[in-house]
Amino acid sequence: MDFEDTPEEAAYRAEVRSLLEEHAAELVHMDSGEEGTAGSRTEELALRRTQRVLAEAGLVGVAWDTAHGGRGGTLAQQSIVHQELARARVPALINHIGLGMCAPTVIAHGSQQQRDRYLPRLLRAEDVWCQLFSEPASGSDLAALRTTAVREGDGWVVNGQKVWTTLAHVADFGILLTRTDPARPKHAGLTMFVVDMHAPGVEVRPLKQMGGQSGFNEVFFTDVHIPDSERLGEPGEGWRVALTTLLNERVAVGGGGTDLGSSVESLAQLAAERMPALGHDRQVLARQALGRAVVAALANRYTGYRRYTAISQGGLPGPEASAGKLAGTASAKLIADLGVRLLGDDALYMGTPDGDRWQRTMAGLPGLAIAGGTDEVLRNIVGERVLGLPPEPREDKHRPFSEAAATRQTGAMA
Amino acid sequence: MNFDLDTDQRDAAAGAREFFTGQASPADARRALDGAPLQPGRTALADVGFLGITVPEECGGAGAGEVDLAVVAEQAGAVLAGPSLVTAGRAAVLLAGQPDLLAALADGSRAFAVLDGPPGGSAPSIDAADADLLLALDGDALVVGEGEATAGTPMDATRGLASVRLTSRRVLAADAGPLWTRARQVAGVVLAAEDLGAAARAVEMGIGYARERQAFGRAIGSYQAVKHALVDSWVGVEQLRSLVWWAAWAADRAPQDLPLAASAASAFAAETLERAAGTCIQVHGGIGFTWEHDAHLYWRRAKVDRLLLGDEAEHLDAVAGLVLDGALTR
Repeated sequence: MDFEDTPEEAAYRAEVRSLLEEHAAELVHMDSGEEGTAGSRTEELALRRTQRVLAEAGLVGVAWDTAHGGRGGTLAQQSIVHQELARARVPALINHIGLGMCAPTVIAHGSQQQRDRYLPRLLRAEDVWCQLFSEPASGSDLAALRTTAVREGDGWVVNGQKVWTTLAHVADFGILLTRTDPARPKHAGLTMFVVDMHAPGVEVRPLKQMGGQSGFNEVFFTDVHIPDSERLGEPGEGWRVALTTLLNERVAVGGGGTDLGSSVESLAQLAAERMPALGHDRQVLARQALGRAVVAALANRYTGYRRYTAISQGGLPGPEASAGKLAGTASAKLIADLGVRLLGDDALYMGTPDGDRWQRTMAGLPGLAIAGGTDEVLRNIVGERVLGLPPEPREDKHRPFSEAAATRQTGAMA
Repeated sequence: MNFDLDTDQRDAAAGAREFFTGQASPADARRALDGAPLQPGRTALADVGFLGITVPEECGGAGAGEVDLAVVAEQAGAVLAGPSLVTAGRAAVLLAGQPDLLAALADGSRAFAVLDGPPGGSAPSIDAADADLLLALDGDALVVGEGEATAGTPMDATRGLASVRLTSRRVLAADAGPLWTRARQVAGVVLAAEDLGAAARAVEMGIGYARERQAFGRAIGSYQAVKHALVDSWVGVEQLRSLVWWAAWAADRAPQDLPLAASAASAFAAETLERAAGTCIQVHGGIGFTWEHDAHLYWRRAKVDRLLLGDEAEHLDAVAGLVLDGALTR
């Protein structure tokens, strides 16, 4: 057990740090914990440029196999890059969904041609990717999705609607989960594709989130043609392919020991500024809240490091990573809540001339507890797959999807 | 960075698990409430070498680190063993440079306790009820002596709590403030490790019952209300494990991080064990509320440990103070 950098890791950290200093003028910088939403074309281009510069400096895809355009480095090195990017106040990479979820899926289930075509451009953010899973009628119950893909000639024709699709408004490609065989039980009739977001029949409509930003979207598919060569995995194997995406998602979101939302360091800095102005009794309470937030954040950070260690020793990202997102969301709420409270009267506004980052973080956290697996779904996964507790009855699991869907509709009308 | 136990530590944990499972149990903790002696007891702990894990080899110990002690303490906590390895770990720090006393600690020939609070009338202190040699802070001086113990009706008899008035004292070190502080932090880490083992066991008991017990035609663990409570307890245990290992590692290798890590582990341990033990009773329903069931023995441990060596409020305040002084950004 050793938390310090090995001499090799320390040398790598120094190299990363000097690369980030060298390229500082070409990178977007934000307050720690902030995330670029690509809300404007200018911001989008700046975020794409940031990732390209980092990729050219060798700081993207650090732990990826060189065969896939990566650097063939270790997870420890990947973790060091994350830490140094946060330290340099570089926001999350614009292609974080592509890197964390889409690319691992293409690597695991795509053809060599797909890997060659997509991965190098994805690494450099020449193409931005999104993940087209959730639908209006199937969020947590993802396998109940209704978007159809029907075989036609040498390809497939897609019709349906996706929703809550982060980055779809700027994305060039997406991984798309569809229903190809409604006569089979719901998990068995799914197929995954790579879809060109600029193809005819793809329409993206931004959704305005509760905090006012527009980071996610509705996506409509009307007779969209996808060549069969863009299929990921076999027809009917889409659920297995999707599990690759979801497991990687939970490692990417909160599983690796990085703070979600605002970092605990930024809270500590704010507290050091604001605490002296509080009266004694308020200070006592604020110190308790600060202590609780710090302990929660550190517990989750070190648990993430343990998970990283396990994966770097040859383990696979397992269902335990769901626990990281659960705990990360909880600690992010403690951090943001105290951050806003420390603003005094400014806490009553969504923003003031001094800024709005704490309010924005607070307003983003209800989404964090829902996106990428709700807290409740994650608890089911941990309970059933890690603790071995029996599943809830799922009465539609083994029936043909078309029949189960019909029952559901009848039930809704009754 | 490598955040995992090494092979030796895994073997030590497995060996400790086997030892403690054979030598102590919640049933012993229940009997202790009626006055029976603690199990495994000091002699057995000394014979297997667990009282000397952090005692130097030349004094009869293993000369190992706090991480090694923590993985053994976790297994002790799982079966509510007594006396506590907290005392062994804390005394080993305080007795640095006292070879005779260290040897007596490691071989179990003397029963040590470390007193919290003034030596003229201490706070309830771990293992003080059966101790024959007491360590205390008298002003800035570390003293050793004998004393008279008084105790109330125990909530958790395995802790051997008693208040002590020293009747004799000999100065071991004059300016012992920093040493005392470090020993208390190490003790907090070992206590958190024992709580980790107890919490993990309480969650296991709850899971086992929730898999078997049927209600409304199916196992109660299939219901989200029950399942999610157990998951939250389990997540807490895994998060606590990370803090305990970090804090024990800091004690061995990064002393500048120990104050933050020890208080973080202590605060989180209190909360985690209380939740795990409370959930264990709730999942068991009526049977979990009986004297015969083991659940209340973990609950008793939780209700006592949360107040030992500083309560949650003290440790959260300490964490805040350290962080406001820049502990996270150094």
